[in-house]
Amino acid sequence: MEGKRTDDSRVLEATMKAGEILLQSGAEISRVEETMIRISNYFGVDSKEFFVLSNGIFVTGGKHSKEYAKVRHVPVKGAQLSKVVAVNQLSREVEEGKYSIEEVEQRLEEIEHMSGKSFQSQIIAASIGSSAFCCLFGGGPLDCVAALIAGFLVQIFILKVRIPYLSKITGNVGGGALVTLVCILCYQAGIGNNLNHMIVGSVIPLIPGVAFINGIREIADEDYISGSVRLLDALLGFLCIAIGVGVMLGLFHRITGGILS
Amino acid sequence: MIVQVIAAVVGTTAFALLFEVPRQYYMTCGVIGGIGWFLYLFMVEKLGLTAVEATFIATVVVVLMSRFSAVKERCPATIFSIPGIFPLIPGGGIYWTAHYIVLNQYDKAMESGMEAAKAAFALVLGIIVVFEIPQKLFKIQRKETGKKQGE
Repeated sequence: MEGKRTDDSRVLEATMKAGEILLQSGAEISRVEETMIRISNYFGVDSKEFFVLSNGIFVTGGKHSKEYAKVRHVPVKGAQLSKVVAVNQLSREVEEGKYSIEEVEQRLEEIEHMSGKSFQSQIIAASIGSSAFCCLFGGGPLDCVAALIAGFLVQIFILKVRIPYLSKITGNVGGGALVTLVCILCYQAGIGNNLNHMIVGSVIPLIPGVAFINGIREIADEDYISGSVRLLDALLGFLCIAIGVGVMLGLFHRITGGILS
Repeated sequence: MIVQVIAAVVGTTAFALLFEVPRQYYMTCGVIGGIGWFLYLFMVEKLGLTAVEATFIATVVVVLMSRFSAVKERCPATIFSIPGIFPLIPGGGIYWTAHYIVLNQYDKAMESGMEAAKAAFALVLGIIVVFEIPQKLFKIQRKETGKKQGE
């Protein structure tokens, strides 16, 4: 612990930034707290308190002459696990004494603006993922083709409609309905023989996997407030997708008079 | 079965990409997902275990492997466990529940709904059990095989 004595509020500001990036990109609460403590300890801030919730960070600390207190609201964004890895790595390197506070600030800035995967590669990944999951649940080759199409369209829907314009609830109901519609159309057109596998496979890009797993971990860590918020978020996601699928199935069931599966 | 396992590897890797796991870890994610799904299928189809039991054991193994890889690669375990667990989420059960509700077959909906809920709890329990194991045990060279520690 040979940390150089630096301006406490500057260190805490950088610490806050690190925490914010982590929280936004899908890290669990205990990791956020741990990383913040690690960074601030190294730079020798000895009196500090961090309180992290699933969508906000509270920091107070510093020597009594220069008190630092800040609350920051951190809206939940999509998962960008590469940022979690980068900040985690940074904090370990800080601990090994590789960086000055200026360099830490600079690195954090770089990590924050790290570009995500391009639109195309996300769509391709989602389509391949959907058809792979369709196959995994037992779908045949034609079913996988249908899932590929549905996964492709649903990912476009997620990126272009749900994220910019819709709330999670309508977004997921709409996404589930869209998937079902596309799959039914494919099924009617003769692409795919097993509607169920097609739908289950192509609904996968909508599933809130990160929220689900982080929620469980936080509950296990006894971070009940954040854990229940995230778990509620995830369960609501599952429920809304199911509603979307159900509504669309019901609609077609009615139109075709029960011929469907 | 081989085709399904390959599909699990491909699917898991695709989702690793969607969650923006750094590129150098794609392989590990895919392999973990593939092994998890292989175990699940093997236990359900060959050993005759129920979906709930198979989900629990496969989850335990997936999360264990994620934690070992995390220590080895010095990065958070979540980046491996999130994609790896995807195939084990009882998506099918949730789908059937919605399907039967639409068809007004409430008894069947109840049945598949409870089945999905049980599988989900098995998943949750599997994750929690393994994440409770202290970090230290993963840093010491592996004396026992992964499965033993999951008990």
